[in-house]
Amino acid sequence: MKLQRRKLTASVPSFAMGDIGFLLLIFFVILARSQDDSHIQWQPAKLDDIEMAAAPRATVSIDTGYKTYLDGKEISPDNLAAALTDVLADTPAGERNVFLKVHREAKATHFEPVIAAISEAGGDLVHILEPEEQNSQK
Amino acid sequence: MKLNRGKMLVDPPACASSDIAFTLIIFFLVCAAVQPETGMSQALPKTESQTEKRDQSQNLEVSITPSSIVLNGSPLNLENFTKRIAAELKKKTREADRIVVVKSAPDTPYPIWLGVSQAIDQAGGILTLELETEKTITVE
Repeated sequence: MKLQRRKLTASVPSFAMGDIGFLLLIFFVILARSQDDSHIQWQPAKLDDIEMAAAPRATVSIDTGYKTYLDGKEISPDNLAAALTDVLADTPAGERNVFLKVHREAKATHFEPVIAAISEAGGDLVHILEPEEQNSQK
Repeated sequence: MKLNRGKMLVDPPACASSDIAFTLIIFFLVCAAVQPETGMSQALPKTESQTEKRDQSQNLEVSITPSSIVLNGSPLNLENFTKRIAAELKKKTREADRIVVVKSAPDTPYPIWLGVSQAIDQAGGILTLELETEKTITVE
């Protein structure tokens, strides 16, 4: 006489499906952030009377080594205008924000060609800055 | 004789607590990464490759160096420059006359340049950059 083995079934517990779905969603959201420039080392300049910036279409950065980056990738200032024109493409006016993150110690020779390139590409320039600390003893 | 009732409290399964903690960590990380940024928007006229033929004598000219700001030949500090540029631009009625040509020395620091451009912007001027261009001329 043959004894039948008990079937062993291994299933993913269904109560974990919500957690798994949520984690996958966040994973893909982070992957989709193609404009990630968190690896760039820079310190923002300080200025008073600044406002919240709307969402950018592209981000141009100048780091502590005065290298230029477009959306986290190093680029020569000479090629920036053409690359930005491609990124902005047919984006309607008012949505063509280009964030400019310039290291506070940069000189005109570093940032002026970049500003000219953003202007040439028809981008709406937004300087990313830090609010100046208000002196409490006035 | 009294019968003891079964406990009605239902604890969340302990095996899910690590999932919950991990999800919360990711949630707060994402929240921290997408915090809004602050800045100053600046309207720049689109750069033309061809030189426009226009009467530039009417435009205000600002030269910036690391130590001074010069408006139409007069050296000023930032405070006085802000007042003077506002007064000068008040006189201009046509938009074309509100163009302010800014020429910076190569070693002008970014914070000084920002202060000048903010003053021009707040006075209602249209900032235009005058860049130095390099040309290579071959002499035969």
